[in-house]
Amino acid sequence: MKRKLVSVLLCAAMVGATLAGATTVFAEEEAATEEAAAEETTDEAAAEEEAAEETTEEAAEEEASDEGGEKEWEYKEAELTFLIDPDTPSQGYQAVFDLCEEKTGIHIETEIRASGGEGDNIVKTRLASGDMADLCGYNSGAKLGELNPEENFIDISGEEWASRLNDMWRQAANGGNEGAIYGIPYASTMSSAILYNKDIYEEYGLEVPHTWDDFLANCQTLQDAGEVAMIGSIGDSWTIQCTYLGDHYNVLAENPNFAEEFEAGTAKYATTPAGVESFQKLADLQPFFNEDYTATTYADACDMLVNGDGAHYVILTQALSSIYDLYGDDVNKIGLFGIPGNDPENHGLTVWTPTGIYGNAKSDKKEDILRFMEFYTSDEALDAFTEAQKPDGPYCIEGYELPEDAYDAAKDAQAYFDEGKISLALEFQTSVKGTNCEYICSEVATGQTTAEEAAAAYDDDCKKQATQLGLDWE
Amino acid sequence: MNKKKIYTNWFLVPAVAIFVIFFIVPMVTSLFFSLTVWDLQTFTFCGFDNYVTFFGERSLNISVVNTLIYAVLTSGLKVIFAFFIALFLTSKIKTKTFIRSLVFFPNLVSAVAVGIIWKALMHPSKGLINTLLAVIGIDGPNWLGDTSIALFSVIFVDVWKGVSISTVIFIAGITSIDSSYYEAASIDGATRWQTIRHIVMPLVRSSTNTIITLSLIGGLRCFDLIWAMTKGGPGFATDVLASVVYKQYAAGFYGLSTAGNVIMFALIAIIAFPLTKFLNSREVYN
Repeated sequence: MKRKLVSVLLCAAMVGATLAGATTVFAEEEAATEEAAAEETTDEAAAEEEAAEETTEEAAEEEASDEGGEKEWEYKEAELTFLIDPDTPSQGYQAVFDLCEEKTGIHIETEIRASGGEGDNIVKTRLASGDMADLCGYNSGAKLGELNPEENFIDISGEEWASRLNDMWRQAANGGNEGAIYGIPYASTMSSAILYNKDIYEEYGLEVPHTWDDFLANCQTLQDAGEVAMIGSIGDSWTIQCTYLGDHYNVLAENPNFAEEFEAGTAKYATTPAGVESFQKLADLQPFFNEDYTATTYADACDMLVNGDGAHYVILTQALSSIYDLYGDDVNKIGLFGIPGNDPENHGLTVWTPTGIYGNAKSDKKEDILRFMEFYTSDEALDAFTEAQKPDGPYCIEGYELPEDAYDAAKDAQAYFDEGKISLALEFQTSVKGTNCEYICSEVATGQTTAEEAAAAYDDDCKKQATQLGLDWE
Repeated sequence: MNKKKIYTNWFLVPAVAIFVIFFIVPMVTSLFFSLTVWDLQTFTFCGFDNYVTFFGERSLNISVVNTLIYAVLTSGLKVIFAFFIALFLTSKIKTKTFIRSLVFFPNLVSAVAVGIIWKALMHPSKGLINTLLAVIGIDGPNWLGDTSIALFSVIFVDVWKGVSISTVIFIAGITSIDSSYYEAASIDGATRWQTIRHIVMPLVRSSTNTIITLSLIGGLRCFDLIWAMTKGGPGFATDVLASVVYKQYAAGFYGLSTAGNVIMFALIAIIAFPLTKFLNSREVYN
């Protein structure tokens, strides 16, 4: 009897220890971040002075480079660490890193972390514990806001070279603080769109659809012919939300102020017809998915698309680079169109700004980080990047254009840019993004819930984020 | 008569200090932070809002139900399977030692590795299980993708992995039963089943109780296997308390995830204490 009691007490102590462990970490983090914040303030002041000094020098240098010949870079050996997820194609940044080492003496050591929700957790934990690499690769837009960028990352808005970053990027990298810029774009923009296999379209004589109904008709034709009309990859659950996210253009088409009203808590998905339709589209796709779509991964899906084992795949255009890595010029078998809405005259594209590279504010190598960032956004670096890795869309750097040998699908995207039929994705327009988005989308796509239920669940999910952000949603 | 104290009470200070700093203080602070909206730097007191959200939102409260199903089923199945495996392994068979180590093997592999392996085996089209089923003409189900069976697939793997520990405890219990009981029973003409029912089962009850308590608590806290196999998906179909708490933490909802931890703590306490009391009251002493 006594022994039992002891064992139960031990069990209780173990549970207690779990709780205790977590809370102790939190408490320590609190203290650490406060200290760092204090340090940062002084750092920033110093950096501003430096920046002011550099400005005059640089202006002179730039003139020199305009006259011909490449810009001279200050050579000083240093080593920086860079944390990134494995789904981000590496050739481009690696090429720039190599060139950077040659020109500026800064060696970049890349460290790979998990992707998706798990990766988010790693980044947050490492930031909170003061263990972040010098350079952190992470989403721009609303997810950046979740990382407390004003505490954790270096604000580069005061730097002279940062003026080359275009408005789209400035909006995406301010982490909710108007005027701040916490990082540089790692690559070109991309979009969430329907990628399709052009060979299959040719074989069945299909046309690029301009309304959702036409698109479903295409899917039906393909399915009747025994093809897999739609590739689903819930094995990597983040991929499934691309349909909902990429449909944002159509939500904005119905209500141009949706993002502001959504952030204010006055517009809801469940009460916006186009919002419910975004989720309905996932439900519509369910009968067309490949048989094993609940276990298919992103990599499997890319293989299927380029090999013609599936006709359509709704995904971010970064998939083009992933496919190019493995299949080379076969990537040009793939075309692109935006997720269509109801109006054939208004068929647009939802655009993403790229992953950002953010400088760790707690790093003691701030000067090297800024030197690296200036180099990374120079024409020289962009050329190296483009040569090693073709862009998934236009760049965020003013005065640099898409090269001629770009992917066919990227050129398809360019057409939407030229017509002005583009909009930024919701996550760049408001910091409210439901963190359970991928799971809610999975539920609709596996037929567990209806579009209406999913829209309502998503509103609830966003309410948690709004509460956390201190927004008044009632 | 007052016995003279040899040691001063100050000797207790180090132990008590460690206990208070590392266990009591964090427990109280976590109770407090579960009542706030917290971003690790600042907090706003919000009363029981976090708890209301937790029980009100389907994506969160589904985990409470799933956790209970998971804990009860894994614990029950482990007891039943382990008991019969242990009976078999304590009988007079030749390769006893070999089979015993074979049974124990799954437990030597980490839960994450087990999860990844079974996830591959259970792949709906390329997995070994469904490939084999296809050979004999059966169209295998989508083990982890079909929401009605996904949780049970994970439970099966948990039992497969965890049954060995229970078996070892049962083997120890069975071998410690005095042989005189068996002799008496055989003189009375008891059948094999009667021996099991009236001698082995009552006399291993303390082992049974240990196994039920341990595996139930283990089931209530389970995270690693679920995360490796389904990440709570598809959707929220296999989310348990621990995975939901993890997701809320990853999302930066520290107050809400702390509330989830407190709920998990309360749930384990509410179930474990009365259960142990009940089980102990039924124990038979040698």
